[in-house]
Amino acid sequence: MPQMVELIDVSRDYGDVDVVHALRHFHLRIEQGERVAIMGPSGSGKSTLLNLVCGLDEPTTGVIKIEGIELSRLDDDARTRLRREKIGMVFQTFNLLSTLNALENVALPLRLNGLGPREAERRGRILLERVGLGSRMAHLPDALSGGERQRTAIARALIFQPPLLLADEPTGNLDSATGDDILHLLDDLHREFETTILLVTHNELAAAYCDRIVRMRDGSVLREERLLKTGAEIEQ
Amino acid sequence: MIRALSLVTRRQWDRHRLRTGLTMLGIALGVSVIFAVRTANITLLGSLRQTIEKLAGTATLQVIGGESGFPEEVLDLVRSTIGVQIAEPVIEVVAHTAFSDEASLMVIGVDTTGDQELREYQFDESRSEIGDPLVYVAQPDSILISRPFADKHGLKEEDRLPLFTSHGRKEFTIRGIFKPVGIGEVFGGQVAVMDVYSAQFVFDRGRNFDRIDLMTDPEVPIETVERRLRDQLPAGLEVTRPASRGEGIENTVAAMRQGLIITSFIALLVGLFIIFNAFSISVNQRWKEIGVLRALGVEAPNIQRMFLGEAAVIGMLGSLIGVAGGFYIAVGATEVVSGIASAVYGYASTPEPPIFRLDYALEAFAAGTLTSLVAAWLPARAAARLNPALALHNIETRQPEAVLGRPRMLAGLGLILSGLAFIRFSTPRVGLMLQFGYVVLIVLGLIIVLPMLAQWIARALRPVMAWAFGPEGLLAIDTMIKAPRRTSATVGALMIGLMFVFSTGAYIQSYQNLVMRWMDRTINSDLFVTTSEQARSRTYHFSEALSQRIAALPGVKRVENVRFTFVPFAGDTAAVITIEMDGWFDRQHHPVEEGDDRLARELLPKGEGFVIARNFSTRWGTRVGDRLRLESPTGPLERPVIGIIEDYSSEKGSVFMDRELFKTYWRDSAIDFIDINLLPGVDRAAFKSELQRMLAGEQRAFIYTNDEYKRWVMSLIDQFFTLNYMQMVVAIFVAAIGIVNTLIISVSERRREIGVIRAIGGLRGQVRKMVLLEAVAIAIVGLVVGALAGALNTYFLIRTAAVILAGFTIPFHFPATLIIISMPIVVVIALAAAWLPARHAVDLHVAEAIGYE
Ligand SMILES: Nc1ncnc2c1ncn2[C@@H]1O[C@H](COP(=O)(O)OP(=O)(O)O)[C@@H](O)[C@H]1O
Ligand SMILES: [Mg+2]
Repeated sequence: MPQMVELIDVSRDYGDVDVVHALRHFHLRIEQGERVAIMGPSGSGKSTLLNLVCGLDEPTTGVIKIEGIELSRLDDDARTRLRREKIGMVFQTFNLLSTLNALENVALPLRLNGLGPREAERRGRILLERVGLGSRMAHLPDALSGGERQRTAIARALIFQPPLLLADEPTGNLDSATGDDILHLLDDLHREFETTILLVTHNELAAAYCDRIVRMRDGSVLREERLLKTGAEIEQ
Repeated sequence: MIRALSLVTRRQWDRHRLRTGLTMLGIALGVSVIFAVRTANITLLGSLRQTIEKLAGTATLQVIGGESGFPEEVLDLVRSTIGVQIAEPVIEVVAHTAFSDEASLMVIGVDTTGDQELREYQFDESRSEIGDPLVYVAQPDSILISRPFADKHGLKEEDRLPLFTSHGRKEFTIRGIFKPVGIGEVFGGQVAVMDVYSAQFVFDRGRNFDRIDLMTDPEVPIETVERRLRDQLPAGLEVTRPASRGEGIENTVAAMRQGLIITSFIALLVGLFIIFNAFSISVNQRWKEIGVLRALGVEAPNIQRMFLGEAAVIGMLGSLIGVAGGFYIAVGATEVVSGIASAVYGYASTPEPPIFRLDYALEAFAAGTLTSLVAAWLPARAAARLNPALALHNIETRQPEAVLGRPRMLAGLGLILSGLAFIRFSTPRVGLMLQFGYVVLIVLGLIIVLPMLAQWIARALRPVMAWAFGPEGLLAIDTMIKAPRRTSATVGALMIGLMFVFSTGAYIQSYQNLVMRWMDRTINSDLFVTTSEQARSRTYHFSEALSQRIAALPGVKRVENVRFTFVPFAGDTAAVITIEMDGWFDRQHHPVEEGDDRLARELLPKGEGFVIARNFSTRWGTRVGDRLRLESPTGPLERPVIGIIEDYSSEKGSVFMDRELFKTYWRDSAIDFIDINLLPGVDRAAFKSELQRMLAGEQRAFIYTNDEYKRWVMSLIDQFFTLNYMQMVVAIFVAAIGIVNTLIISVSERRREIGVIRAIGGLRGQVRKMVLLEAVAIAIVGLVVGALAGALNTYFLIRTAAVILAGFTIPFHFPATLIIISMPIVVVIALAAAWLPARHAVDLHVAEAIGYE
């Protein structure tokens, strides 16, 4: 079985004159089903890393593989399809479409994939129930609380049951109680769908839910820690 | 403070260069249309006026009649008037050469012995030994031509010049070539001079002159001579100074000018909307910036000033561009109005470069700047009133927009209904400016109800879009529903543009339908022979000899001779249509729609009454039974009005009388149209080609069969509306700019949203489709409201404008065909307008768009 994610000697530079080395000679391998937390100060290259993994950005040098497929060999549409079906994404600012209600937001990726509205919304409804939003499906994002919005965003990320979930500081905009709920939810979903998770966070507690922590600084790996027991298991 | 704010503004412009440019272009187009139309008008009038003045030479007064001129005896009367030093008769004809190009040539008939005292003729030196060419030219068949004309056709002295005259092709001997100064300058130098009595003969003027140019005794005040002449001459003759004759022409083309003013006004309205649009969007987009500025301590009035200052600068720059561009457009527009003037009114003029009028430029500039300020007023106020705390909130938590209240809707409906009521119930005599007020009420009302209306239509469209285009369609239409402020302004611009197009088109179409139906009813001769390809020639006519020759041809049942001319009437002019009334009545089914048909049939052929056109009655309040007095060159002609008929021959209103009556009073036997009726079984087309063969190379005449004739009239109407068609194109163009502008803003405002769609798996193609569909949605909603507004404005044009301008009562037709035809066109234009914004959206760097705000 190929690695879920593999980064080989990846660098990403920004700018021509004042070059910013957002990532430098970065190596990372993530196994299927593994949960990896990325930690590091602001500007250390965490978001850049996620953007590269999901194919929204291209490395200056180096190779990125998802399930053994080399991203640079795909054209934009193929990469987009891969992202749609294999990678779910959760953001710090939720990034829901403000003009669509919760259900429409969740069903959107399916619809973009050509599924009819009825079937797409049926599946969306199941997922929204699953994340605990069964009663708020017709609400616009504006009418939802922060935690509810993030649950909606998670439901949207998981609508294809992707093998890989990328989350960029998903609890960064939430109070700690709500943040904990979200982390629990991610943990539950991990067990249910065996999703591989790459989680960027500032929060040590959040990182504790993972199998491994990669600490970054200035675009490189500072240190790696493997956790024997995750936070969730400790709790239990 | 203002300085600091202007920095903010400049940065904004710099960042949104395209948008700023497009906004300016919106104003520029509006201003340029107004400026071009006015410049073209003044240029045309200037050139017509200049022609008059140059032809007048040093004459201080002129005696003129209607187009028929007046009898020779008037000359003696004028000469014997105390205070008149010199009085010289003139005939003017725009004739055509019998060269292959049939070039037009202005032929001026003068009494060559006396005329030199009034007009200067400078001859080329070469032939001076022959003596004075003006003496030679007194012989019939002699002619003098100008140098430009001679050079153009390679003619020299003693050459033969063939001309088409009322008596067919005639050859003239060139006795001299004069320099292009004075009289030689008019009509682009395509001028010839011949003896006035020869001109009378060859152009079938009977014993009439067109004009007497006179010089008064310098000792006697001109006014005194003017008064004496007026007292002596019949009221049908006018005594005037050359300089003031231009006003008469201005009067004649008034309908054309007023029509253009109406449409220019609407063009500026479209411009106003573009700016309103751009500024509401700008305020909307700079929500956050405004919040920051307010938080930093900028007072509300200064925020308002910042936006108004921006509007002023954009308005001024746009107006400047508009004036400059309008001047170039004026070149083409001048040609068009000159074409209309000569086609419809028979005023020949040579194309002149447009005249730059500083006052017009300044007015157009002021209008553009003012429009810009007015349009920015509401958005600027909204910006100033923004709650800073709210403004600083995240975009996603922004309050839904409060533009959809019920009071608003009621107020808008109230305005629309009151505008309609005014149109329906007020008299047409209240004046043009007040009448514009009605449209303003309606448009204002529409603008007020627009956001709500647009939202309803978008809601109705939502399932259709979702069904037809899937999620991209849904996303596109949702933007319209959820952010009415952003799109309703564009929809508004589109609405105004389409309103203009639909109503103008519907008006023209209704008018054409009406004329077509009228012609089908009344135009029933088999063939028509005309003097000109244009509506008519004011100066060149057929002789009765030609009509008699045609009447004698085998297969002809009967020929009727029509004289279509204009006579002075109540300070304006009236059209006079004369025909052999017995024959005419024979062929009409039931022409008199008001009054006694039988009485008309009995009295008119005897010259004992008039029949008038419905619009004449509307314009002048003349009714059946009234006695109508026309001033002829031989004295007043007064007859009872026996009936009113439907007639669209002239927007001035026509008076019908028997040909013999006209000939007696006007001493004019000229013919403008020969109506030919064939014996049963004679083929029209065959007869036409036979007649053509007979006249070829001999008589300048245009022969139309019944169908061709009707088509020809339709094409003249089209020509009359050329400028309106051009303005329709401009309106659509301006509306398209509005769409580009909105979509570019929409894309940049939704960078994040588009980024998210891409991030969760939206393909480039899907994003493109979404932006294009948004344009389609805007176009469809715009079409629906535009159709509504168009129907309302058509109602205005038909009820009010047509009545003021021509006294025509045009039945109201909903412009359904036009709307259906324009649907795909508008959608395609919208798609084209969306192309660039769609590319922006597709090329968006996704990681940046979602990573940063
Ligand atoms: N589009 C970009 N253009 C220029 N510099 C960028 C861009 N994106 C990120 N950077 C720079 O790259 C570095 C890493 O950024 P990022 O990956 O966002 O850090 P983190 O998510 O760890 O805070 C930072 O110095 C940031 O300024
Ligand atoms: Mg980051």
